[in-house]
Amino acid sequence: MHNFFHKTSLLLVVIPLLSGCSASLFTDLFSNYSQQMSGVKQAQQQGNFQQAISLIPKRSSNNGSYSLGLLEKARLEYLANNNKQSRQDFAQTYQLVQQSQQGAKIELSRGFENIAAVMSNDNAIRYDIPLYEQSMLHSYQALNYLTQQDLSGALVEVRRANLVQESALKANANSIYASQQSSIAKGFSMDSLSEQYPSMSRAIGKVKNGFQNAYTFYLSGLLYEAANQKNDAYIDYKKALEIYPDNRYLQQDVWRLANTLRMTNDISLFRKSFSREITKKSANASNNNQGQVVFIIENGIVGAKQQSSLSLPIYTSHDDMRFYSIALPSYQNQLSVYSPLSLTYQGKSYQAEEIVRLQSLAAKQLQDQLPIIVTRQIVRILAKEEMRQKLTKKGGDVGNILANLYNIASEKADTRSWSTLPDSIHILRLNLSPGTHTLNIHLNGVSQQIDLSINQNKLTLVTLTTIGTYVGKSIFNL
Amino acid sequence: MNKLIITASISLALIALGGCTNKSVVRYGDATAVETTNINFGSTDLQKVASQMTDSLLLSPVVGTLTANTRPILFVESIKNKTSEHIDTESITDSISTKLLRSGKFRFVDMARVAAVREQLEFQQNSGMVDASKAIAFGQQVGAQYMLYGNLASIVKSNKDKSDVYYKFTLRLMDLQSGLVEWADETEIRKTKEKEFVSW
Repeated sequence: MHNFFHKTSLLLVVIPLLSGCSASLFTDLFSNYSQQMSGVKQAQQQGNFQQAISLIPKRSSNNGSYSLGLLEKARLEYLANNNKQSRQDFAQTYQLVQQSQQGAKIELSRGFENIAAVMSNDNAIRYDIPLYEQSMLHSYQALNYLTQQDLSGALVEVRRANLVQESALKANANSIYASQQSSIAKGFSMDSLSEQYPSMSRAIGKVKNGFQNAYTFYLSGLLYEAANQKNDAYIDYKKALEIYPDNRYLQQDVWRLANTLRMTNDISLFRKSFSREITKKSANASNNNQGQVVFIIENGIVGAKQQSSLSLPIYTSHDDMRFYSIALPSYQNQLSVYSPLSLTYQGKSYQAEEIVRLQSLAAKQLQDQLPIIVTRQIVRILAKEEMRQKLTKKGGDVGNILANLYNIASEKADTRSWSTLPDSIHILRLNLSPGTHTLNIHLNGVSQQIDLSINQNKLTLVTLTTIGTYVGKSIFNL
Repeated sequence: MNKLIITASISLALIALGGCTNKSVVRYGDATAVETTNINFGSTDLQKVASQMTDSLLLSPVVGTLTANTRPILFVESIKNKTSEHIDTESITDSISTKLLRSGKFRFVDMARVAAVREQLEFQQNSGMVDASKAIAFGQQVGAQYMLYGNLASIVKSNKDKSDVYYKFTLRLMDLQSGLVEWADETEIRKTKEKEFVSW
């Protein structure tokens, strides 16, 4: 008994030592990220962005979720039109991303985080910002630069976003296969998981991978076009079209630029795949000295990860099968429906079309990571079970109860993700004659008027944000 | 035994805490020393680009004939940043124009300060505070004969072992009257960073 208390006191010293410089928030031990963020999301839903910012859990810079907190804050500052502060926060996040990418192959602090995670839960591990979130970071940063009329700064962000999407394409193919192999090696197959784990197929929809973001490609195409780099714009529009082949605005843009740049091979290909309505416009028709307006509409807020508990059969070291209950993150298996922006101009009505569904990207990302998460979870269960057995031997019933209480209370799924992002983004593009226009738009069940000044052969970008009943807008003349 | 364990664990914890709080030190350094803090565009790259470009411009035979009897008037348009970093390209053109001015072969007009000059001239002409006979009149400045402009482009690649950045800086001198490019040169910089194997 005497000896037992020595060991526990040693343990109490060792655990803070392990977490040491990578201190994790005490609340991370007993409540998950979605729970901590629920107040923030509620305030965001009501359009109280300043209040939402003040509700973000404060984390020190050596906390594993510090970069995530910065992302949430930067996004809310962007919504609150504090573009300078938002730009600073995004820049700091980007720096952290760079640091972790260029860091050493083996970082000891990560090893300690992993040990801390084995004793508590996955929230102790450093949050690596997934690639779709990185591409959104650069998209917002580009818009932040645009608010300061800094097109070349915005183009830098666009190029960074393209680097992210490129490296993602290369890195992703191998890692998924490798993680599935490792979970099989740990005495557990993914089949027994898929029976119990809540399906996310409807949330994922038709998304093929969790990192290619058509919106980022489209935005970069727009900015390249504004900088008169038509060839770069064409490449990015085409990449966006690969992801969203049915989007008519993308088809129009690709068709228009293919004709302007005289891409004869592509033209004959597109003539077959695009509808007659789009291909009947020749290159000259688009070149008649009109100005263009592009609407980018952000709808809703992306859903939060939920914690779902399930019991899985796992083989212990003594080769007997036992059922253990574990907590895993998941997304709700449904997508919200948003009525697209519609407007009437010169007797013709136009409707916005979807360019990215961030909820689907997030769900796909989680699905791809699931094997790794489950593997870690099993290691943790075995370690905690070992600890419980030791404590039972040494501390009798009291030790057993204490260990069980700790195990149940600390078993929290890692529900961290950038949760203030929009749910889906739509685009609408049309040609207008130069001069000032007043357009009647219908959005979110409400009609409102927008005054625009259109310059000849120039782009006017309108960004609209609808969250609940809140509608925000900003207009850029590029 | 008891005390030994307690003191050992406390001292361990103190060491760990001490590891997190290092004292910071301020030092002066050589402004032209090679700087390799990280792989991004840094002071060494800026200095290298500026000095190579001015050397090449001043030594080129074409410029030799241009500056034989006169000091041509230049203006710097801008360096277009086509990299994936936020680089202050004005700082590069500042270095280049300063070095060229120092050589005594060229004269410059500064387009970045036109608004300030206009404001000052308007003050001299219209405020009533300046002696009208000594005030500088509008329309007496000299126009530039040549334009200096360029591009800074980069290619970035990285894998799990290293990252590699390649910069290409192009600078051109255009005769504004004929539109001919009289001189052009480029500087290349390659930087690679191999990842450390183990770190904290």
